[in-house]
Amino acid sequence: MKNEVRDLRTAMGLSQQQLGEAMDVSRQTINSIETERYTPSLPLAIALAQYFGRTVEEVFHANGNE
Amino acid sequence: MQTATSKPFYRSRWWMPAFSVFLGLLMLGAFWIGDEPEEGFISLGIMVALGALFFFGGRSETLRGLGGPGRDERWAMIDVHATALAGSVVIAVIIGAFLVEVASGRDGSPYAALGAVGGLAYVIAVVVLRARS
Repeated sequence: MKNEVRDLRTAMGLSQQQLGEAMDVSRQTINSIETERYTPSLPLAIALAQYFGRTVEEVFHANGNE
Repeated sequence: MQTATSKPFYRSRWWMPAFSVFLGLLMLGAFWIGDEPEEGFISLGIMVALGALFFFGGRSETLRGLGGPGRDERWAMIDVHATALAGSVVIAVIIGAFLVEVASGRDGSPYAALGAVGGLAYVIAVVVLRARS
């Protein structure tokens, strides 16, 4: 699923490891989300959106739209 | 998502090493009862080595996932898919072995019973999971 996680993370100056620790998931899971190989669960998507101060729709694009 | 305050026991780095040693001790006990303690100690040694591999596995995601600390929701999905694949392989082997046994003029045991257990467990799991979802 297309998403803005990498851009939002780097804008906050966070590493994948730091974001993973904040979300209680592994660094590899953050990497998989950023590279669109893994679609996060709804709770994790909401937690990521809240962490970045955005809505889920602003962070994740279900049909590939920006 | 799981929070740091509610980590289940199987995400502890001690879980899989302890479980490996526990299985090794069970094997030792079984071999001991079967009057083959040497085989039991070999099995225990293998399981202790496996536990040590999990405990000292370092940063390997696979070892951390299999061992417990690296388990998160993505790993849970991988675990479910891997379990389903492994189960499918086992069922296919059981069916194949059952057919070979029957074609050889035998009664198909123990494969018939193993297949029945697998099939019944699947149906029960489907019923329970459907009711809970």
